[in-house]
Amino acid sequence: MPDRKDRNMRVGGPLDRFAPIGLLVGAVLAAVGLVYAFTVTPLVNGASVDGVEVINGVAVSNMLLLSQKIFYWHMPVALVSFIGIAFAAFFAVRFLMTKDARYDLRSKLAMEVGLVFVLCTMVTGLLWTRFEWGVWWTWEPRLTTYFILMLLVFGYFILRNAIADPERRAAYSSVLGILILVDVPICFMVTRLIPSSIHPVVFRSDSGMSMDMVVPLLLSVVGFGLIAVGLYRLRLRAQLIEERVNAVQEALED
Amino acid sequence: MKGVAEQPEATLQEAEVRTGAPVSVRRPSTWAHYRALVKKDLLHEMHTRDMLTSMGLYALLVLVVYGAALAQAGTSLDIQQMAGGLLWAVVLFTSLLGLNRSFSHETADGCLDGLMLVPMDRSVLFLSKATANLVFLLIVEVIVVPLFFFFFLGTVGAAPSWPLLLAVLAVGTVGIAGVGTLLSTITVNTRGRDVMLAVLFIPLSFPLLWSCVSAATAVLIGAEGFMDTFTMSMALAGGYDVVMILVSWVLYDFVVSA
Repeated sequence: MPDRKDRNMRVGGPLDRFAPIGLLVGAVLAAVGLVYAFTVTPLVNGASVDGVEVINGVAVSNMLLLSQKIFYWHMPVALVSFIGIAFAAFFAVRFLMTKDARYDLRSKLAMEVGLVFVLCTMVTGLLWTRFEWGVWWTWEPRLTTYFILMLLVFGYFILRNAIADPERRAAYSSVLGILILVDVPICFMVTRLIPSSIHPVVFRSDSGMSMDMVVPLLLSVVGFGLIAVGLYRLRLRAQLIEERVNAVQEALED
Repeated sequence: MKGVAEQPEATLQEAEVRTGAPVSVRRPSTWAHYRALVKKDLLHEMHTRDMLTSMGLYALLVLVVYGAALAQAGTSLDIQQMAGGLLWAVVLFTSLLGLNRSFSHETADGCLDGLMLVPMDRSVLFLSKATANLVFLLIVEVIVVPLFFFFFLGTVGAAPSWPLLLAVLAVGTVGIAGVGTLLSTITVNTRGRDVMLAVLFIPLSFPLLWSCVSAATAVLIGAEGFMDTFTMSMALAGGYDVVMILVSWVLYDFVVSA
């Protein structure tokens, strides 16, 4: 029993050694994916750089076709933000099952990583919206649900700061973490459910993505995934070391 | 162990001797717990009229604010387009006020601590509290919705399909009461709880609010093919209700015993 506890509390295990490497490899993969998307991948439907392409009966100029490149950044980041929140909810469930403060810490850190990626998604999304739809913001279903997802993640951290008692804070924020997860599938499915949505639907069988588009996309997804794992492990390590320092400090003071 | 079990038997026999009739004691059912708790909340409200007065007055005042806000638009404004949204805004803000209060008297009088000592399923607490909140919200809506029609839809009028609005109100209020009960239990123990409830409640109830406004607007305008929008939105709202109330029901035990 103490053995298992030690393993969980230990800093510098194989996962910790992997963290900086994972972060580096992730950054390289994401960068390669982005460069690949700009250099090798042709414009949508094979349009030429200074031409005009007709898509769905609408003439689309070359500028708009280039703006599609942000997709190779935007979509993986959004996907990873969902995964981060899912992990936060998973650790929240584990906490409620075991009442073990370690899971609460992991839930909080996963939500922090989720927040970073949520903000990245928001920024890239706004840039694209400004360019493609001509406005910075519109109350479109996907944008709206993602916006409230962001507000909920903010609320999660505001709630954590508003409770002093650690046990109560852990229980309440775990419950909220699980509630936040309910919004993730809503956000994911909303572009399919509401026909008036103008946000593109990516995961479908007839997406018409060529191999040249899939390769950089997968590179980015894997890259950002590795970045998220690396950030999470580094953050966890820092927190565990901090806890140990506090414990040592208290022991010395006694 | 045996002695403990025999004790009530002896007192039961004594009672039978005293009253001359067979006496039996059963563990009260969950349903009995539920009824007693709902009755407790309703009685408390009948004595103090704390929530109903404050919510009713607040809703009326929001309508007065609407009057000022829409005054400059005059007749050029198509009020039918906005009526659904305005109505749901007043319902949402009023319920926010009520939910904030619904738990304050429980903690103030130590009532919640007493309830926690009762050997029963904690999720019954959630169901009874949500039911009481639902009843209060519905009572306030019974007053506010006719007033809203009187003030803002008097000249324009609503489409003949407006009775369907009652279904929208019912589904929306159930969801608000369910999620709100869980969240108000969380926020009653936090710093700055009024703001905290709003911070958590408004984003979390947004999908419900969105679909209810969509359904309400559809029936108030009653344009051609409005039934499609209506059924779609009601399906979304109903699905949200089912999922959220089930999740809140399961999680309530962890919140209330923390």
